[in-house]
Amino acid sequence: MESAAIAPYIAISAVLFAVGVAGVLTRRSPLVILMCVEIMWNAANVVFIAFARQFGHMDGHIFAFFVITVAAAEVAIALGLIVLIFRRRDRVDADDLNLLKG
Amino acid sequence: MSVGFVLPIMLLLPLAGALIVAAGRNKFSRNGLAGIATASVGVSFAAALAALLALRSLPEGEALRHRLIDWGSWGGEPFALGLLGDEVSIWWMLVVTGVGFLIHLYSAEYMADEADYGRYFAKLNYFVFAMSLLVLSDNFLGLLIGWANVGVASFLLIGFWNRRQAAAEAARKAFIVNAVGEVGLILAAVLIFAQFGGWTFERVFQGVETAPVGALTAIGLLLLIGAVAKSAQLPLHVWLPDAMQGPTPVSALIHAATMVTAGVYLVVRAYPIYEAAPLALHAVAVAGACSALFGAIVAVGQSDFKRVLAFSTMSQVGFMMLGAGVGAYEAAMFHFMTHAFFKALLFLLAGVIIHHLGGEQDIRRMGGVGKQMPAVYAMFLVGVLAIAGAPGLAGFFSKEEILHAVYMRGEVILWALGVAAASLTAFYMVRLFCLVFAGEPHGGHEGGAGGRGPGVVILIPLAVLTLLSISGGWLHIPGVTDVTGAYLGGFFDRFSRRVALIGQAPAWLGWLTIAAAGVAAWLSAMWFRPQGMGWKTARAAAGRADQGPLAAGFFVDSFYQALVVRPLIGLSKLIGLAVDPWVVDGIVKGLSGLAARAGSAVQAVHRGHMRRYALSVAAGAGLALLYVLVV
Repeated sequence: MESAAIAPYIAISAVLFAVGVAGVLTRRSPLVILMCVEIMWNAANVVFIAFARQFGHMDGHIFAFFVITVAAAEVAIALGLIVLIFRRRDRVDADDLNLLKG
Repeated sequence: MSVGFVLPIMLLLPLAGALIVAAGRNKFSRNGLAGIATASVGVSFAAALAALLALRSLPEGEALRHRLIDWGSWGGEPFALGLLGDEVSIWWMLVVTGVGFLIHLYSAEYMADEADYGRYFAKLNYFVFAMSLLVLSDNFLGLLIGWANVGVASFLLIGFWNRRQAAAEAARKAFIVNAVGEVGLILAAVLIFAQFGGWTFERVFQGVETAPVGALTAIGLLLLIGAVAKSAQLPLHVWLPDAMQGPTPVSALIHAATMVTAGVYLVVRAYPIYEAAPLALHAVAVAGACSALFGAIVAVGQSDFKRVLAFSTMSQVGFMMLGAGVGAYEAAMFHFMTHAFFKALLFLLAGVIIHHLGGEQDIRRMGGVGKQMPAVYAMFLVGVLAIAGAPGLAGFFSKEEILHAVYMRGEVILWALGVAAASLTAFYMVRLFCLVFAGEPHGGHEGGAGGRGPGVVILIPLAVLTLLSISGGWLHIPGVTDVTGAYLGGFFDRFSRRVALIGQAPAWLGWLTIAAAGVAAWLSAMWFRPQGMGWKTARAAAGRADQGPLAAGFFVDSFYQALVVRPLIGLSKLIGLAVDPWVVDGIVKGLSGLAARAGSAVQAVHRGHMRRYALSVAAGAGLALLYVLVV
């Protein structure tokens, strides 16, 4: 693959990552924040795969798998937390979760 | 080598006694406490006698040795607290433990009314241990450790009556003045290590031959600073008269017979260094001669019984220093021994008299004591004659030996100072004797306010010391006996560089000092007999504070007060007013305030707003990215 051919992939990845960051920063629902984090994971995955293809290395592919597994584990824990918080409070709002303030 | 084990016995028994007495001071009976303390020193004396016999059985030039504690090695040099029993240290130990034993015995009765009986004996035992460590150590470091311990023991005993302001101040003064000397000694130890690579006497003295004279002179002068402070010589003598605030037996043991001679011991011990550094040795002689005369002059003007004896001690130790300073180490050792006998006797008798008069120490208010206590009168007379140098008694032979040696070395000026000091000694001792014993009882002390007279426990040590004050000098009567010479053998020849004395001392030398002392004694007796002028002025001034340069010891104290103490106190006040609250407190308070303010500043960031945290993480990542791209 030529270096020019990889540019669209990186552009897509950058857009995805920016969307994820914007979501994390602006949304108040933990569920949506979690989804935005997933988008950021996948932005990283796209770059991994694209570069792996370009350099003919397997490392990038393997890392993409790792990211997917870790993301799955993270989702499992985060959803569990959100459910627990929801049980204790009526509504779930990221801005209300400020018990650790200094 | 095999008999070296008597050395640790000698050293450690008083320490064990001190610890046992200190631990049991509230549990054991008073007799038990006194018994343990006295017995430990008594057995120590027996061990010293055994060491003497063992030393005699060794070939000449060998000594008893014992390695007490191994500290490992330092730069290849084995580093240990070793004990050495040679001619000098055994001589000193015999006097320290012997006189110490007698004074322990005396204290058992003398201090009977004291509430803190156990504390007293524990401290007294501790002193004997410290002095033994000083004397028995086979290296300069152990000597320094013993030296410092002796200082602590002296501090504890001067301040024994710790509720008395004057005693506490005197103890502090003694400690501080001695610390000045210790600085000299520590510096000397550092120089010795730098020069010889070790501290053992053996190593140092073997290296003396090849060492540069400059270094040896520096070491000798630094050692002299220590010696001058401990032995109450000019100009660091100011602590000794004040040290008389301690109990009288303490004055007898520490501040007359043993501790103050530590300086003489140091000079005698380090004689190979001094022999190779004539300038330092001469400084010893000058310090000794000046102190001998100074002490004798000031003693004439004192009206406190114990202060007279204190200045007399300074003067007599000056004689020892003078002897050592002209290389007459045997004579210095001889005078150390006889002085220990008659000065301990005089102090202990002073204690009896002061007790008898209900605590009166002003000799101008005494008088007529002779009629009330004839035995004390007779023994005191022996002491006075011995110290004044009456022919035949102990002080005569040792003092004559020193003055002879000084003259024969050609130090005519120092010799003249010595003769003047010797005749003044006769003068002030006769003055003391007249004011205390002659005439009628004075100042309401007719009946003997102290009640009971001395008991047998006090009389035994007094009798022994009286006999020793008479016969102690017979160890070396020129031309008749020479026990000291036989004992020391060639000890001081090993490193001595002095040319042998040529010819016989002129016969008039001895007669001159006898005549001078005799005339001084006669003048004093005329002046201070009950019909004399001095007697009347003294009686008229009784009870008033002393005036004049003599009584004030030529204002040396005021000099130090103005030049050292006041500026120091002023400086500390200045620091207390300015530096401490502003600079030191300012730094500490500023630091703590800074931390607190930084905390509250950072607090604003941690509001628990999760999205704001996320924003700062994103901003940080963005900045990092920017950095990578731009730089």
